[in-house]
Amino acid sequence: MADASTLNPMFELWRKQFEESAAAWTRMVGQAPPPPSDPTAFWRPILNQGLEQWARLFAQTPMTPDLATQWKQFMDQWIEAWSKALGQAMNTEAYAQMMGKYLDQWLVANAPMKKAAEQQIDQALQVLNLASRTQLTAVAKQIVELEERLERMEDTLGAILQRLDHKEPR
Amino acid sequence: MALERFADVVERFTHGYGNGHLMKPGAETVKQWQEELERAVRRAENLQRMITNPQEPRVGQTPRQEIYRKNKSRLYRYQSKRTHRTPLLFVPNLGISRPYIFDLMPGGSFVEHMTREGFDFYMLDWGVFGPEDNDLSVDDCVIEILPRMTRKVLESSGAESLSVLGYCMGAPLSASFLAAHPETPVKNFVDMAGPIDFSKVGLFGLWLDKRYFNVDRFVDTIGAVPADMVKAGFKLLKPTMDLSTNLNLWWNLWNDKYVEGFNALNRWANEYVAFPGEFFRQWVGDFYQQNKLFRGEAVFGGRPVRLSTISCPVLVVGAKEDYIAPPECVRALIDAVSSRDKDYVELPGGHISLIAGRGASLHCWPKVSGWLAPRS
Repeated sequence: MADASTLNPMFELWRKQFEESAAAWTRMVGQAPPPPSDPTAFWRPILNQGLEQWARLFAQTPMTPDLATQWKQFMDQWIEAWSKALGQAMNTEAYAQMMGKYLDQWLVANAPMKKAAEQQIDQALQVLNLASRTQLTAVAKQIVELEERLERMEDTLGAILQRLDHKEPR
Repeated sequence: MALERFADVVERFTHGYGNGHLMKPGAETVKQWQEELERAVRRAENLQRMITNPQEPRVGQTPRQEIYRKNKSRLYRYQSKRTHRTPLLFVPNLGISRPYIFDLMPGGSFVEHMTREGFDFYMLDWGVFGPEDNDLSVDDCVIEILPRMTRKVLESSGAESLSVLGYCMGAPLSASFLAAHPETPVKNFVDMAGPIDFSKVGLFGLWLDKRYFNVDRFVDTIGAVPADMVKAGFKLLKPTMDLSTNLNLWWNLWNDKYVEGFNALNRWANEYVAFPGEFFRQWVGDFYQQNKLFRGEAVFGGRPVRLSTISCPVLVVGAKEDYIAPPECVRALIDAVSSRDKDYVELPGGHISLIAGRGASLHCWPKVSGWLAPRS
């Protein structure tokens, strides 16, 4: 039988560490607006419930394979708690704003680099007398357009044939 | 066998040699330990096999025939007894993922279920897009591709009307097509986990809000949305998904059937498909940011798209734990159409488990086939 008195301090230590890291994470993602008074409040009940349940089960259970099942249950709850916490943090205007800003910065930085790289590659391929990606894409686009034209002709022919079929019995 | 010998060793270690009265109190525990050890050995075997000899899972095994192709898109007809006269056109999402999830493996396939139930089943595969498809737009899908696909279905089946089943993004696209072409002989329409009211679409709705996401700058800079970026977006929706998937794999690694299913699903879950640039611009702009379809303001190819023009029988299926298309944004179709025969069902599961997997075979597939059968 596991001794509950030796396990509890371990859980307390773990819980403290967990709470601190989660609080730091929440602070990081929610930098844009003023932080709420207790940023950890929304996930605390879920986490506490999971930890307490596991601690209780762990303290009451002999060393059987059931322990593995309980560990799995605890892990599921722990992941679920994290999932809910992350979900709630990401479902905020602050997070969306932060992500949008990050993406904008990335696009602003990326656009000239991408353009320059494409130009360099195109020039290099031209020197080597090889077709560039842009040229190949243009050819592929022409094939797509050609296919589309054929389709339209097929449709028109189909419609004409249908009209002729209707006329024939007369 | 080594497995049995090891178990015997554990039993002897726990209870000694043949001391009957000592064995009785711990017999259940020993049995549990034996089972656990057997599982541990099988876990190790399967793990070794997955690492050293990974098998490419066989997916999409239901026999089918290609009826029509247009650029990257394909229309497939699946073999069936055809006990229902009205053919069924299945329209999945464009981009994001491959449609073989609906025919993942024998015994776990929506297509197999529907063909077994006697439906003349057609599936539209939008295909994998390249940079040459960057000009493809929602207009092209609604005004060009879908009408052509329905014509091909009718020609191939010889039927006078058809049913349309849209899944995920395929549902708003199909609904737009039906609303823009009221003359199309559509007998029934099924929306499975397809968002309609984008003001209630959850996390993606918030992230793609026009205050934070400039879709024009995004498309103008990168062109097509690469598969890796699509993957990153979906992974971000549920960051703990990989952790729980791997934990569940480890837990069930002793179960060969689970491993087989995992391999097939894992292949699909890691095979993302890029979005054509213009399609993405219009999809995010018109649907997510302006909610034009639900508000009745959408115009595709010069044709106004009003959901109220849909008057055929409609079935809407939402999933309780769907975080991509939450039930409330799916359910909105019921109030938007003018059909008299319309039903809404909310089933357990998420966006994928609604239509794929064991839960789907119990809850969703019979519900859909049961609703369609008398109407087909």
